[in-house]
Amino acid sequence: MENRTVSKYTASFGLALALSSLLNALLVVVKEKSPVVQAEMKSLTGHHWVTHAAIVLVLFVAFGFLLAQFKRGQGLTLPVNRLIQTILAGVVAAGAIIVGFYLIAG
Amino acid sequence: MTHVLFGVGCVLAAVWVFVDALNACESNLKRIQWVSRASAVFMWLSFLVGGYWYVVFYPADKAIILKGPWPFAHEYFMETKEHLVILLLLLATYLPIAASNPLAANREARRLVLWLAALILLLGLIIEGHGAIIAMGVKVALLAKQI
Repeated sequence: MENRTVSKYTASFGLALALSSLLNALLVVVKEKSPVVQAEMKSLTGHHWVTHAAIVLVLFVAFGFLLAQFKRGQGLTLPVNRLIQTILAGVVAAGAIIVGFYLIAG
Repeated sequence: MTHVLFGVGCVLAAVWVFVDALNACESNLKRIQWVSRASAVFMWLSFLVGGYWYVVFYPADKAIILKGPWPFAHEYFMETKEHLVILLLLLATYLPIAASNPLAANREARRLVLWLAALILLLGLIIEGHGAIIAMGVKVALLAKQI
């Protein structure tokens, strides 16, 4: 019988990818709309973009490992179709928010 | 412009993974895993080199672009690119994790890898296009200054 599941890290990091993508886009809106947030981000590393990238990457890794610990370390059991849909929705929505924000607000 | 070269390397490796994953079998599984890792490594190199260039050298280009006839090359294209590239980095980093599954015996895992490789290709080409317009923004600004 064909194997239809993926490893726990594939599921957890897939969800982490979708979540981090959305947070990446939301962080764009927040920092561009709030000069205080942008100044704070700049003060942390010297450049707001470096802080932005660091936050998103740390969240991606943290979410990936945290979600893998669900169900007493067995990880999430998610149908692969649902995982693909979640990743697509997260990445496409994040891209649309970023493009839409700079098209309209920029 | 080393980061562009590494970016192209990431996209080409993703295309390779896509084609190999379409025909996934026991004999090409190792290759798919190695090429997906190469895609991630190329993307990280591109991100680090491009990020350094953006932080250290781009402010001079930005000033030239904003005084020229194509200010949108920075205001829209660079602003969008610097954040879309983080999505591409996440996708490329995740590709080897997805490719570590037994793709020959698992059609669903294969579909996941195909989608990821396709997203990397699409987003990579969009970002390369953005980069070309930003470079043109500098060029037209310098040309306009001479006239």
